[in-house]
Parts: sequence; structure tokens; C-alpha cells
Amino acid sequence: MSRQTPRAMPDEQQATALERLIFNHRPAVIILCLLVSLVLFWQATLIRPSTSFEKMIPLQHPFIERMLEHRNDLANLGNTVRIAVAVKEGDIFDPAYMETLRQIHDEVFYIPGVERSGLKSLWSPSVRWTEVTEAGFAGGEVIPTPYDGSPASLDALRDNVLKSGQIGRLVANDFRSSIVDVPLQESYPDPLEPSRQLKLDYQQFSHQLEEKIRDKYQAQNPNVEIHIVGFAKKVGDLIDGLLMVALFFGVALLITWALLLWFTGCLRSTVAVLLTTLVAVVWQLGLMHAVGFGLDPYSMLVPFLIFAIGISHGVQKINGIALQSSDADNALTAARRTFRQLFIPGMIAILADAVGFITLLVIDIGVIRELAIGASIGVAVIVFTNLILLPVAISYVGISQRAVARSKADAHREHPFWRLLSNFASARVAPLSVGLALLAFAGGLWYSQNLKIGDLDQGAPELRPDSRYNQDNRFIIEHYSTSSDVLVIMVKTAAEQCSVHSTLAPIDELMWTLQNTQGVQSAISLVTVSKQVIKGMNEGSLKWETLSRNADVLNNSIARADGLYNADCSLAPVLVFLNDHKAETLQRVTAAARAFAESHDRDGLQFLLAAGNAGIEAATNEVIESAELRILLLVYLCVAVMCLITFRSFAATLCIVLPLVLTSVLGNALMAFMGIGVKVATLPVVALGVGIGVDYGIYIYSRLERFLRAGLSLQEAYYQTLRSTGKAVLFTGLCLAIGVCTWMFSAIKFQADMGLMLTFMLLWNMVGALWLLPALARFLIRPERLAGTRGSGLLGH
Amino acid sequence: MSQWARMHGRPWAWGWSMAALLVLTSVICAGRAQAADDGQSAIASERAAHSLLIDAAQAGKRLVVVGDRGHILYSDNQGGAWTQAQVPSRQLLTAVYFVDATHGWAVGHDAQVLASEDGGATWRKQFEDLAREAPLLDVLFLDTHHGFAVGAYGALLETRNGGQQWHDVSDRLDNPEQLHLNAIAHVKDRGLFIVGEQGSMFRSGDDGQSWASVPGPYEGSLFGVLGTARPATLLAFGLRGNLLRSADFGDTWQRITLSTERGPFAAGLSGAALLDDGRVVVVGNAGSVLVSEDDGETFTVNSRRDRIALAAVAGLADQRLLLVGQGGIHLADAQGQDLEVQP
Repeated sequence: MSRQTPRAMPDEQQATALERLIFNHRPAVIILCLLVSLVLFWQATLIRPSTSFEKMIPLQHPFIERMLEHRNDLANLGNTVRIAVAVKEGDIFDPAYMETLRQIHDEVFYIPGVERSGLKSLWSPSVRWTEVTEAGFAGGEVIPTPYDGSPASLDALRDNVLKSGQIGRLVANDFRSSIVDVPLQESYPDPLEPSRQLKLDYQQFSHQLEEKIRDKYQAQNPNVEIHIVGFAKKVGDLIDGLLMVALFFGVALLITWALLLWFTGCLRSTVAVLLTTLVAVVWQLGLMHAVGFGLDPYSMLVPFLIFAIGISHGVQKINGIALQSSDADNALTAARRTFRQLFIPGMIAILADAVGFITLLVIDIGVIRELAIGASIGVAVIVFTNLILLPVAISYVGISQRAVARSKADAHREHPFWRLLSNFASARVAPLSVGLALLAFAGGLWYSQNLKIGDLDQGAPELRPDSRYNQDNRFIIEHYSTSSDVLVIMVKTAAEQCSVHSTLAPIDELMWTLQNTQGVQSAISLVTVSKQVIKGMNEGSLKWETLSRNADVLNNSIARADGLYNADCSLAPVLVFLNDHKAETLQRVTAAARAFAESHDRDGLQFLLAAGNAGIEAATNEVIESAELRILLLVYLCVAVMCLITFRSFAATLCIVLPLVLTSVLGNALMAFMGIGVKVATLPVVALGVGIGVDYGIYIYSRLERFLRAGLSLQEAYYQTLRSTGKAVLFTGLCLAIGVCTWMFSAIKFQADMGLMLTFMLLWNMVGALWLLPALARFLIRPERLAGTRGSGLLGH
Repeated sequence: MSQWARMHGRPWAWGWSMAALLVLTSVICAGRAQAADDGQSAIASERAAHSLLIDAAQAGKRLVVVGDRGHILYSDNQGGAWTQAQVPSRQLLTAVYFVDATHGWAVGHDAQVLASEDGGATWRKQFEDLAREAPLLDVLFLDTHHGFAVGAYGALLETRNGGQQWHDVSDRLDNPEQLHLNAIAHVKDRGLFIVGEQGSMFRSGDDGQSWASVPGPYEGSLFGVLGTARPATLLAFGLRGNLLRSADFGDTWQRITLSTERGPFAAGLSGAALLDDGRVVVVGNAGSVLVSEDDGETFTVNSRRDRIALAAVAGLADQRLLLVGQGGIHLADAQGQDLEVQP
């Protein structure tokens, strides 16, 4: 590189205004950065994990708009945690089991945040058996009085349970476990100061369940096993998972430190790069908090990305300074020359990153937008820290003599490895490479037909399939008659009209239509309750288990259907339990419900989609599906336009963009292969992968073009390119990959998916730039036409 | 000349044929939509066999079951495969009766009466009375012309022309409280017997023209009545495991003692059948399947593991049983436990 730098003019005259501004006021730059860092560090310490529900969903989608509109009417559907207490040997009609269950019931009662009046287990007085007798209804608590744990009282208990209708609900179908149903309050009075309301802390609540219930009672009674599910537990586990991520950051930091040391061979510059990059991360976090964002499971990715991008730019700088140092008088001159040389390509690369991030704003989901904004802020910060602060810092500390000597030796010796790689640009290998790439492209395209939208695994998609939570969830699905995927259809009527026959009959029909739709397990609504109560009023005869045309009978029958209609009887949710939350299932069921609504909506009766976790996922899938193509087109368009502006050449643009396209296609195929769906977590990866991946192409092509202008043959020009920048490119790829690959070990499934996909995209983009770019150049670029010309692009100065 | 050009040559013909095609298509589509969903007929559904089913009957060799949402299904191979009949109703059907292999009737809510003349494959609606706001609960025919239906609030309907006209003859019963009439049965050599709410009983020795109240031994509701193989002998059953037997057309009654390993039996009983092999089977809540091999004098009590509520029973070959109720059709062994293979 240094050999090409014109040496005729004195350094000072070549300097741009910006360079003079910075390097003539070095102490001011350092002090300013220090002050900003202090302020932003203070801000960064204030940042908190935020798991705002609304940010994770597409707020503009009609499903969600209707759900939020009717939020208060749906409130009763509830935030509950279910604790299944299972026996390992025998069944639940056992004195020791019942005693443990009683203790758990009492212990849960006192955990703050529990809605005590709604707490339900076999031990609560509200769980009763009923029986129709000659004199009418008879009934009592399922725990017989007196209960003394004797075989006789356990027999009575068994009878009562059979009569209670709780099998499949509070008691497992196989009588080997029973449930403590724990409704929660979002806020509750402070026990120490009852006038103050405390907000339920999901993480703390989840920990209390683990310590006070699971650990304690499994230790106390070795014959029981405890399974806990519910929104609060899931969120608690998620937050725990988030904190683990901080650990990953440390690991990434260590590995990067070791790699940097190996690459530079200089402790001083390694520390300088790491420190300035950490400053970038601190600034980014501080700014995030300053603009009012929290750290959610998605935006947690940003510090990692910023760290990786920062390191890679830092490496380019160090590489440049080391090369310059070999013939500059002092560290300051070397730093200034490097700044002059790399500021523009660095800016362009960062701009490309930012463009990739900004396209994500198209997706109408809060967390993705915050990720986009956060990451854009982050790369902007890198301009200050790694493009400005780092060279200034290095101009003080310099680079160790050993490292300078090494790079000096490097600059002159022959590199067999790079010589070998330069064959990618040769006339013999290039057609082979292009053919292979076409084959991979076609294969990837064919295989990615299997790519699915949405989450594909059972259970809570946020967590890994084999996580504790999902194991517990599976246990409950298998042993109880419930499913965790619920689609809610809101039936809206005029006030006081939710219980008339002309409303209930269509609801009944809707339920049957949906139950006949593949993927639906069952459905419940106030119709379900009404039929059961009418049957009960008629001495339990199955011949009466249907809606009555009598208005009084209907009104009475829904009196106990709490939560299945709202206060003024104008809204009744229909809960549809699904087998799974695969995109096809959601699509099929929502399509059936929409068709039904279309043919049955009339004045005063509307079937509104949708709420429930499955409703939210259906809406999210629809948004993702429509955004996928737009994002891809947009990000490629932006990247292509940037390349065109930079290089003023279609051929160059194709050389840089085509390898990225191959990566995108192969990435899709990999997702299909790994069973990862296109979802909120993986969609940004496409944009991030392309945005960051284009860096390699820009660095390599800009040098290649320069050598070609100098009149070298394509293969020789490529060898020179590799020799000067190949190592940095390789290293950059490794840095970026390491930054994100630690995520693969996250307890949170979508973070692991993001980590895997980003690692693949970043590594493969590097391979594409090193291998495919020169091969394409063989076909697209005419070296003889470039030779001797001065560049007209941004880099052609 | 290419086809395209020819069409351009006669634009009006092109336009007309397009219009004709459009009309034809819309007619076909409309017709299809009608058949699929007229809002009245039972919807063809794979889940029909697993929906709530209430009664079962034999039409010659064929088995016919009826239940919720106008579901009627029939099987010609001992319950191995079921076909859903075309039924002009979406109401809960409560009973079905075949007088021979082809002629059958079903009754249900909205006081509906449906009739079939082809062994249960297709049905038409004979009677409906929404204003009653009450269901018919059982049906019985003496021959293809003369039949009765009983129902809620003391309803007794009669037809003499195979259901073309139904007449309300409730006043033939002395039922001032309008107690529900839950079931009607024929008792060998003696006549007809009706049981209902609060232990009410009525009998008729003259094919239903006059009825007499029978003072029963039980004041709880009776859900069913069954004439056994012996003359003048019948079983009546209802709430809380109450099972009564009379060998003299209701003059005297004897309580059948039912017990399980864990004490007295107390589940409600809802349906019964006299099987071809002479066994008497009574079914009810909590998966109860009671089997008698001595004309109903003693029963063994079985409980299905799933404890579902059963509504009716019919016999299959090899002592197997067809049970219907919650969860639809259940093929069971002689003790009422599920066979491995379900329809």
C-alpha cells in the first residue's frame, strides 16, 4: 500500500480540512471524548432490561388494533401461573402427596403478587364437587371433612374428584398430578406500607417460584416433581436468559483480545483498539438510554454488533498504521497518513452498515425499529471513536517496534498463501468458481422453498425446545386437556346482547366451523358454559346439552361464565385452542375465521380477529411475510446504489453485490435446513448480513481497482490486494463472527437463531468477497480499460 | 387465420360467449354454495363421529346414531366405518327409532321430528315448533303409520299417517305439573310405558289411546325405560344409580342393588338396550356400563377408565358394544372398555 502513496508533497499540504482540525487539536479531541464518555457511561449504567409487550407486536396490524381496543374487556383471560405437582410413583391419592400439595398451596398463597382469592387447587374451598340428587343439587369441597389422610378419606377424595369435573383441568387425566392455579395481580399493595402499590416483578416472582416451591418441595418430598408454566414464569426465564448474555459479551471480549494480540503482535495497539471500541459500546448504550430505549432481547444484539464492527474498523486502522510506520518518521505522521487514506472507505463502509440497519424501519414492529435505530446510532458512534479517536490515540502511544518491523518485513516478502488465493482471479479458476456459485445458487434457491414463516417449534417459541420451561409446558399439554396456543376471536354485540339466542347460535356455529378446521383442538366460549349449565339445570341429562331458545334460561346459564363476556355484555371472546403455532396452522384458522366473519357479520354482531398468543403470532407472521421481500429489495437497492455512487461502475457493483445475493440464498437454505422460520428475530439478520457483508466487497474492490489503474494484470492486482488487505479482511470476518457467535449459546431461542444466522452470513460474505468477487471481476472487468486512468469515483483521489 | 384473429372478427360472439360463461359459472358456484351451507342442514364433518351423540338404533343390519348439530351417522359394517347422513337440521337430536330396516324417525330440540325412508341415509323434516322452546326427548312407532313422541313439559305427540301430521295429545295424560316425559317404550304383550321427571310413570294398554298414571316407588327423575325379553317386564332407571324392575307392567317394583368395589353405585343412568343375545345393558354417567345376563334381575357394574358420560348403547357382533355419549362413538368390549381401534 505504502509504495503507491505519492511521496512528493509534504504531509501537511495533502491534509484535508478535517484532518487538520483533528490532528492540530489532539488534546482537545481526547478531552472532549473523555467528557462525552463520562456522561454517556453514567447514562449507560441507568439502562434496564425492558420487556415491553407492546414493542414486540405489530401495533398497526388490524388484529392487534382490535385486541388493544378491547383490552380491558379481555383482561380476565388472564395472567396466571400453573404449578403442576406430579408424583413419580403411584397416584395423587396418597397422604404424603396431599400433604405436600397442601403446603405448596399455602406457600404460594403468601408469595407477593398472587391474587389470593383466585388461588385454586384441590385444597381450595372453591373447588367443589356437585351432584344432582332427587332434591336438587348436592355438593361440597373435594377435600372431604374430616380429612385425616386415612384410606377411607382418600377414597372419599377420589370419589369427589371424579364428581368435580376437574379431570383434565385441576387433576391430570392419569391422576398422577394435580395443578395449583395461581392468578396474578399486575400490581399489589406493598406489605410494609399498604397504601403504596408495587408492580409485579416477573423475574423476582419467577425466582421465588423456583426457590420456595420447586427446589424446596422437590427436596422435601422426593416422590414429587414440580412443573411450572405461565406468562410470568416465561418472562422471568427470559430475563434470566438476558442476563446470561452479558456473560457472552465478556467471552467475546476475551477471544477478540487474544485474536487482536495475535494479529497486531502489539499489546499497546490491541489495548487501544479494544478501549476505543468499548467506548463506542458505552456511547451507544448511553445514547440508547438517553433517547428513551431499554435493552430488550433484540436490541441486546446491538452492543455485540457495534463491538464487532468497531473492532473490524480498528483492525483496518492498525493494519494501516503499522504499514505506514515502516516508512514514517513518527507515530503521529503514520496515524495522519492512515487517517487520510482510510477515512473515506471507512465512512462508506459505515454508511453501508447504517443503510442496512435503516431499511429495518420498514417493519412495523417496535423491537425491530429500536434495533434499527440503536444500531444506526451505534455505527455513527464508531465514526467518532474508531475513525477519529483511535488514530489520535495511536498517534500518542504509537505501535511497538516489533510490530512495525514485522509489518515492514511483511510488506516485502512473498506470501505463498495469498499467491495461491490470487488464482481465484485467474482465467482457469474463475469459470469454475462462477459455475460452482451458480450451482450453489440454484441449489440454495431450490432448497429454500422449504423455508417457513413463523415459529416452528412447540411450546414457548422464545425459549429453547429443551429448556426447563418448555419441558414443563410439554408435561402439562400431555397430561391435561389444554393447549398453550390460543387464538381469541372477539364477538362484539350491542350492550346487553351477548347472551341472546341470535348471538349465541352464531358463536356456536363459529366454534364448530373452527373445530372442523385442521389444527384446532377445541374451542370454548360462553356458549360452552351455557350448554353445561343448561344440562346441569336439567339434572345432568345429555339430552339438554344445547342452547335454549328461552331468553331467561340463557341469561341464567351464563351467569357463571366469568371472563367469557364483559361487564356490559357487549363482547364475548371465543378461545380457540390450536395444536401448534406453525404459520400454516395460524393461516388456515384465521382464514376460516375471517370467512365466517364475512358471511355472518351484521349490524349488532361482529366477529373480530384476533387476540391471544396465536392471534398475535398470526398478525406478526402476516407483517413479516409482507415485509420480507420489501426488506430484501430495499437493502439490495440501497447497497447497489451506494456501490454505484462509490465506484461509478455497474461492473464493480455487480462484483460486490452478487456474492451477497449468493449468501442470502444460502442463508435461506440454511434456515430451512435448521428448521428456523422467518420471524421477528431472523428477518433483521438478512438486512444486517447484507449491510455489514458489503464492507468486505468495498474494501477489497477499492484496492483491486487501484492496482488495476496502476496497470497490473487482474491476477497480479488481486495478489497485491490480498497482500495488503487480505489479512485484515480475514480478521474482520473472524471478529464479526466471534462477536455474534457467542449468541448461539443463549438460553433464548431466537437469540441463538440470530447468532447462528449472523455468524453464517458474516463468514460466508467474507468467503464470497475473497473467492467470488475476483472470479466475477474476471468476466465483468476489463483491466486494460482501467489501466492508467484516474478513478472518477469517491475513492479515485 | 389464427384463432385470436377470428375472435376479433366477431367481437359480439366473443362477448356473448364470455357473458354466458360468466352466468353459468356463477350459477354453478351459487348452487355449490347452497349445497355446502344453507344455514339449515347439518354440516358434513369428520368430527361428527366424535361430537356429542345421544341415541343409537338398529335399522335392520345397519346402525344409526344421532346427536348434536343434526349429526346422524350410519354404519353397515358393525361400526367399522361411519357415513354422515344428509339431515335438514342443526339441532341437538335426542332420540332415534327404526320400525323396520328402512323407516325411521328422529326427534330433537325445537320439537323437531325428522323422518327417513331409506334406512337413515337421507332425512326430511316432518315437524318443528319453535314456540314451545322445548325439546322432544323420545320417539316410538308401533308400525310405519302409528307413532308417538314425548318431550319436555309433558308433551305427547301422536301421528297416524307416518308423521305427515302430528297431533298434540298431551291431555291424555294426567300430568297437571307438566313434568318432562323423558322416555317411552314398548313392554312385551302389554303395551306402552312412559317415564319422566320426579319419578312419574304412565302406561297404556290400548296403543296409547288412554293412559293411566302409575304410582312409582321413586321420586327422583327417571331418564329411561326398557321393555325386556320377558312378558310384562320392564326396567326404569334414572338419577343416582336408581334402577327399578317390574315384572307386572308396573304394578309392583323391585329396586336392583348396584354396587362397586368401593361402595354403592350412584351415577345417573341414561340409556339401555336389550341385545340380540338376550343381555340387558344400561349405561350412564361416569363411564358406567351395567350388564345383566338374567333379564335385568342382577347387574355387574363396569366403569370405563375415561369416566365419560354415556347416553345410549347398542349391540355389536361378538358381544361387543356400541356406546354413544360424550366424545361421540365408542366401540367397546362386553364390559364397556374401549377397543384398540376407534372409528
